[in-house]
Amino acid sequence: MEILREIAAHVENGKNNEVRLLVGKCLEEGIGVSDILNNGLVAGMSSIGIRFRNNEVFVPEVLMAARAMKSGLEIIKPILLQEKVPTKGTIIIGTVLGDLHDIGKNIVCYMLQGAGFDVIDIGIDAPKEKFIEAAQNHGAQVIALSSLLSTTMSYMKEVMEAVRASEIAGTVKVIVGGAPVTQAFADEIGAHGYASDASGASEIVKRLIG
Amino acid sequence: MNGRERIKAALSIQEPDQVPVYIHGINEAPIIGIGRHITDGLPDPKEFREMNDREKGKLLDTLFLIHEHFGIDGFTSFEIGHEETVDTEHVADDWGVIYTRSIHGLPVATGHPVQNPGDIDHFTPPRPNRNHLLLLDLGRDRFKGEKALFWLMRGTFVRSWRLMGMENLMIQMYDHPEFVHRVARMVTDYSLEQLDMLVDAGLDVLVVEDDIADKHSPLISPRQFVEFIKPYNTELVEKAHRMGLKAVAHSDGNLWPLLDIMIETGYDGLNPLEPQAGMELKKLKAYCGDRLCLIGNIDCVDLLPDGTPEEVDEAVRQAIADAATGGGYILCDSNSLHPGVDPLNCIAMFEAAKKYGARKS
Repeated sequence: MEILREIAAHVENGKNNEVRLLVGKCLEEGIGVSDILNNGLVAGMSSIGIRFRNNEVFVPEVLMAARAMKSGLEIIKPILLQEKVPTKGTIIIGTVLGDLHDIGKNIVCYMLQGAGFDVIDIGIDAPKEKFIEAAQNHGAQVIALSSLLSTTMSYMKEVMEAVRASEIAGTVKVIVGGAPVTQAFADEIGAHGYASDASGASEIVKRLIG
Repeated sequence: MNGRERIKAALSIQEPDQVPVYIHGINEAPIIGIGRHITDGLPDPKEFREMNDREKGKLLDTLFLIHEHFGIDGFTSFEIGHEETVDTEHVADDWGVIYTRSIHGLPVATGHPVQNPGDIDHFTPPRPNRNHLLLLDLGRDRFKGEKALFWLMRGTFVRSWRLMGMENLMIQMYDHPEFVHRVARMVTDYSLEQLDMLVDAGLDVLVVEDDIADKHSPLISPRQFVEFIKPYNTELVEKAHRMGLKAVAHSDGNLWPLLDIMIETGYDGLNPLEPQAGMELKKLKAYCGDRLCLIGNIDCVDLLPDGTPEEVDEAVRQAIADAATGGGYILCDSNSLHPGVDPLNCIAMFEAAKKYGARKS
């Protein structure tokens, strides 16, 4: 549908006003919110994610696209909830205890939201209890741990152990990422997934619960 | 040659008698950990602010001793005294930026005073304060010309995002580019004025600390870098050169997409060359080793924390083999000697630099 392709293009190009207008127009024309979400907003974020991964665009362009996507999502969110449109899954994300860096985690948030997941961002400096509590409260399927520092990365192991010892063990997958994190480290601590970049995080989550 | 001469030769792409060694940044814990091998009476590792005056004096003296004992050729200094405690978890600098303290390294900027275009009309920037150069004065008086004096000056990107917030800065590049330029102009004027003081204080090397990349790529595009960052950092580099200083760029991450632009900026050296970000020494040497002094690359993410002294020795040998031929290499870790590094590995790095670094011809 042409109008959805236009929405996707405007998301990709970070044009939030245009996205807002076209989403409104879609609703007037009776186009379903699932269609608007998946073939408009998610499609646009998916394209920018691929270009980001290929170093064709950089963080500012992802932020602009995310802002455009969110401006459309804000309009359809109440209807999605009202119509009980099932989400693709719920993800708890945070930067682990001791680490105050947020931009990498935020980019992952935008990519996951842009892929159609419900994302609960518990912020920076997050202790293991906060991840587990949030996962319980929101019925999450995935916990995503971020760390920029090699010294805080080791805390991911503590979160893994706490998840294994908790009531949500077996119901939640844990993925890890961030500058010092590697696949080998993820394997060592028994994480269910590792992504080396934000688009990769979205792919891993799709694979784990898609 | 003394350390200062070695550093200056390397930054001029000449071959000194010995590959110079430099510590770009070092935390309290490794100063204490390394220091215990050469002096007594050090406190248990803790943050500088938690130390009493005697412990602070001992820590600083130990930092100097490390440079003397291990033959480190350059001494790093930076602004001190420009921050005030807000509460137990926060400090504010003289620009009004709020930082949240971290036990894992430097405080992180979390409060930003210039977020909207209107904010700058009511914002009064600080003036450089001569008293904040104390560490440079102490280094100069201690080393008396034997070691090159480096100064870490925040570059345009870092100063701007601290004032504006990083995501906000990036969005404002699209929404209000003239606002981003106004902030860049303001911080550059400050830095240019501070540079006069630094030259009077005896500085040798200006390090423009402007982290702008992660391990995959730069955070902003080369086009944005050329528009919003390069013109302002070029002013710093050109002024430094006019005043007889060398100028070094510092940024973590994969800088390959920006490398030609950084060379055009006129820098003499590039630090810290993260191996995990694809900044391979051999490849860099082949690409720009005749135009840019390479500074760093000894892995502080995996090797210095978790490797063995033998592995460190081999990495230093390899780095010197890859980058030091003909000059233009300064041995340094790949970011900083942070609280996670093993002091024995740091010592192995310093000793291996002397072992393998003597000029062959």
